[in-house]
Amino acid sequence: MTFRFAFLVLAAGLLGTAPALAAPLDRSALVARLCGSAAEMGEAAGTLITLAASGSAEDRAFAAPLARAAMEKKLTCDEAGALLTAGGGTLDAITSAPRAEQGASRAPVLSLKNRAVFELADAALALRSAASPAERASALRTLERKPGSLPDGLLDAAAAEETDAGLKGQIETLAQTAALNASDIAKRITAIGRVADNPSRRALAQVGALKQDPAYAGDPAFRAAVDAGISRIERGIAIGDTLAALYNGLSFASILFMAAIGLAIIFGLMGVINLAQGEFIMIGAYVTWLVQEGLRRAAPALVDWYLVLAIPAAFLVTAAIGVALEAALLRHLYRRPLMSLLATWAVSLFLVNLVRVGFGTQNLQFETPFYVTGGVPVIGDFIFTWNRMFAILFAVVTLALTTALIRFTPLGLNIRAVTQNRDMAACIGIPTRRVDMMAFGLGSGLAGLAGLALSPIYSVNPQMGQNFIIDSFMVVVLGGVGTIAGTVVAALGIGQINVLIEPLWGAVAAKVIVLLMIIAFLQWRPEGLFAVKGRRK
Amino acid sequence: MKPLSTDRPVLGLAALLVLLALAMPFADGTPLALSRYLVNAIGQLAAFAVLALSLDLIWGYLGILSLGHGLFFAIGGYVVAMYLLKHSFEVTGTVPDFLQFMGWKEFPFYWAGFEFFPYALLVAVAVTSLIAGVFGYVSFRSRVGGVYFAIITQALVYVAMLLMFRNDTGFGGNNGMTGFTVLFGWPMGSTGMLIGMASASLVVLALVLLGCRALVGSRFGALMIATRDDETRLRTLGYETLRLKLAVWCLSALIAMLAGMLYVPQVGIINPRLLSPELSLEIAVWVAIGGRGHLVGAVIGALLVNAIKFWLSSAAPEVWPFILSGLIVLVVLVFPNGLVDLAKLRLVRPMGPKRMAEEIGEARP
Amino acid sequence: MKPAAGLTALLVDGLTVRFGSFRAIDDLSLAIDYGEVRAVIGPNGAGKTTLLDVISGITRPKEGRVLFDGALDVTRQSESAIARAGIRRKFQKPSVFEGLSVRQHIAIGADTGFRGGLDGPALEDRVGEVLDTVGLAEQAERMAGALSHGQKQWLEIGMVLASDPKVLMLDEPVAGLTDEETERTARLVRALRRPDRAIVVVEHDMDFVERIADRVTVLHEGRTLCEGSMEKVRADAAVIDVYLGR
Repeated sequence: MTFRFAFLVLAAGLLGTAPALAAPLDRSALVARLCGSAAEMGEAAGTLITLAASGSAEDRAFAAPLARAAMEKKLTCDEAGALLTAGGGTLDAITSAPRAEQGASRAPVLSLKNRAVFELADAALALRSAASPAERASALRTLERKPGSLPDGLLDAAAAEETDAGLKGQIETLAQTAALNASDIAKRITAIGRVADNPSRRALAQVGALKQDPAYAGDPAFRAAVDAGISRIERGIAIGDTLAALYNGLSFASILFMAAIGLAIIFGLMGVINLAQGEFIMIGAYVTWLVQEGLRRAAPALVDWYLVLAIPAAFLVTAAIGVALEAALLRHLYRRPLMSLLATWAVSLFLVNLVRVGFGTQNLQFETPFYVTGGVPVIGDFIFTWNRMFAILFAVVTLALTTALIRFTPLGLNIRAVTQNRDMAACIGIPTRRVDMMAFGLGSGLAGLAGLALSPIYSVNPQMGQNFIIDSFMVVVLGGVGTIAGTVVAALGIGQINVLIEPLWGAVAAKVIVLLMIIAFLQWRPEGLFAVKGRRK
Repeated sequence: MKPLSTDRPVLGLAALLVLLALAMPFADGTPLALSRYLVNAIGQLAAFAVLALSLDLIWGYLGILSLGHGLFFAIGGYVVAMYLLKHSFEVTGTVPDFLQFMGWKEFPFYWAGFEFFPYALLVAVAVTSLIAGVFGYVSFRSRVGGVYFAIITQALVYVAMLLMFRNDTGFGGNNGMTGFTVLFGWPMGSTGMLIGMASASLVVLALVLLGCRALVGSRFGALMIATRDDETRLRTLGYETLRLKLAVWCLSALIAMLAGMLYVPQVGIINPRLLSPELSLEIAVWVAIGGRGHLVGAVIGALLVNAIKFWLSSAAPEVWPFILSGLIVLVVLVFPNGLVDLAKLRLVRPMGPKRMAEEIGEARP
Repeated sequence: MKPAAGLTALLVDGLTVRFGSFRAIDDLSLAIDYGEVRAVIGPNGAGKTTLLDVISGITRPKEGRVLFDGALDVTRQSESAIARAGIRRKFQKPSVFEGLSVRQHIAIGADTGFRGGLDGPALEDRVGEVLDTVGLAEQAERMAGALSHGQKQWLEIGMVLASDPKVLMLDEPVAGLTDEETERTARLVRALRRPDRAIVVVEHDMDFVERIADRVTVLHEGRTLCEGSMEKVRADAAVIDVYLGR
């Protein structure tokens, strides 16, 4: 340490004449001024602040204890220079070597004005050199109170070095605020442009506050810059909000699609609407949770992958329940769809209460694995979050697989045949009852997958099925019987309309408007969007 | 269908109801008197039976299943609650809880006039007719029927529930309305009042039963059954079934509204849970259990299911959903025509192909 | 008021009906006169039932029109308005009201509106007359659901007959009937023939068609293949090719 200091001092001496980027620090002069008059002390504080912004790491490490000591009255001036009280003993202020007091000594007193400057110097140095994030955060809070008097480059340098992400963001914000409040109008205008480059509600608040600034009234250029900045930010926020709404709508639509596609296939096939579809979603989510808990016990290393590992479980369990329901109940209600409505409602009632008794009514706690954590900020306050992306991707894959299954597999061919003409299909030897059962299992399994996909986004409890089921019905009504394309379009439409209207008039109004639109739509196309036309009766 | 004058089950049940309605006031004060709880329960059950009749009229005789009849029940209930609160306020000066809760000094403007019962009744009839009329017209016009109609009505009642859960609508929000103290100038809560309301409900039930029976036994009723069995066939015989369906649908909505007006004063509270899709589905369950297309069956189904529910809700409330789902499965699988099958001692009557086909929605091309 | 025999009852003009990309009826034109029994035959999918669907208002055509009595374009009318104008149709699948008695069926068929077109005694007379015509007088009080298949066919014929229609369309009236029942139906159809009535019969049973029809129209893939007397049709090479000759 001492050696390096000596080297630096030497180097500083050698370079003394050269026009260095940063003037070499004369440590003894600095210490001397710290012990000088109030004016000299003020200059010393100024030097400390400059050091914090542009000094070398070593200089800052040297300066930081000085500023702190001056603040805390642990600086003693004696005839040989100055001493710092640290721990039990005293150190030389310049060399940091332990030494005792020499001759008459006094502790410099900070004037009110100097106190403020020293506080700034201390905080600025601490922000750059303090070891713990907590200390740096506390220093940042001090600096936030004086955004106008910060030296150039301090915050940028601090932000560049900062390792803590949260703190880094705060420093960057403060840097913007500081630049906005700089004394130089040109600099402020540039800063406004930079803030407006990343529009957000915070940025709007920052730039909006400048309308109260005297310069806003006085300087036309500044005023124009502020107004342009505000409108740019507002535009950015509006775009961001729109994108966020569309994105949320898309993820809601994805869940709706997965819940409704099963309903639509089954309705097309058997003329039955499964009122327990919402409960299949719920079961899917509970199975996902059980898989998570199972992994936690059996293979803790894999817990993060429960969302992926639960896919077969969620599908198979709900599909099995669906097959059982079809075999035990619905097949006896062949061509009595209104009675099967009631029967499936009985199942829904049973499942909700069974889960309520077995698991309680509280929301289940899900881990959030890294692949559904956080997101990418895009524009405004819109964050492209991974949990919603997960649901969307999941729905896209489900859509692709379901389409492939219906188009290219023997089961799909049978489902299409029975949907179009059950009697004819039976005549040519298609086992229609088996097709019913398999299709019901498929539809239920897809609902189970919807439950899995929504578990990182929505809360999971025994009543959750209610939140999706009515919207899913509307998707089926709107999309038309048994068409995948209709279900996709209707799910997108209903999901988006719900989410777009919600911020304007509230969630209830959104539901009311969606229902009214569907009823109006049925006036125009009673068979739904994509119904296959044929001979009636 | 045999004439009403020879329909023993209907006449017998109506007579029984009227007899009970007459007996209750006379028994008051004697050792034969029923407990207050039982009197109140009978009154509520009668209201539910009226509700079941309203659904049986359209489901059993017109083939239209509504899973949203709770909406019309709730309209009646809300309007009568508004009358009771406004009337109680006029008489006793009690400010309703929900006004205080919202920090409102006075009733919203649309509460004006509700202290007059005839006006309240008029509003109930008008609102019910309007909603039922418009919804029925647009649905029947576009030939929406069967399962489609059922789930759209369910969405309708669900949306209405969400709407009424809002506190700023001026209808009590999620807490609903309660604290009714005066009915037609008489203090509520006295035993005499309880008996009066229960007896009135029984008489109304008997009248609605006879009225429905007269309707379905008439020429118009034959056309209702024809619509149920094969609507296209009836249309191609020159009948405008839209008008017929709309008329019966509105009548059914009005009967449901009447049931709500009987129910709410007796239960003493109304809140949006009356609009939950579950209640509307339960009405269909009562009818299915009693036997759809049989008015006596609908009444018995409503009385039976709700009696069990009343009893269980104090004895073992958590068991009720399981019992209910079990009952539904039993009826659906073993007694396709409801308890009427028991009465006829025919356990399973296979449905004819036409009866099956009729249930399939009109919306299916 | 009564149209003279020989006048056109139904004029089908350039009719096209499409279900998706499938043309069920393809630019079809034909005329059916009062006083005749016209049989419409053709292989499955030829568009026979779809033609009746258009005439009774159940299916809307994409193009073309169907003039009734030379004036009323039925493609713009509702099913009930068409029926009230005097066009009645028996469906392919016997369509009766399971929950109503035979008598109620005939009464519903005889009246045309909710208030009823006939007063009490007149209605009774008319119902009795029709019941005798279709031979169901003894079943009058039975529920339709309890009737045999043949009785249901006659009941439906009686129901559409009760209003004394100008155009009577029968879609496969003898499908599923015994020979004896078919024979009875044939006599019934011939008895219903009147100068002021056109009867259209869609049927696969060639012997039945030969017994009842004055003229025969053969449809194939939505177009008229051949039209004329049964002998002419039987002799037509194209008809033998697509339909009769196996």
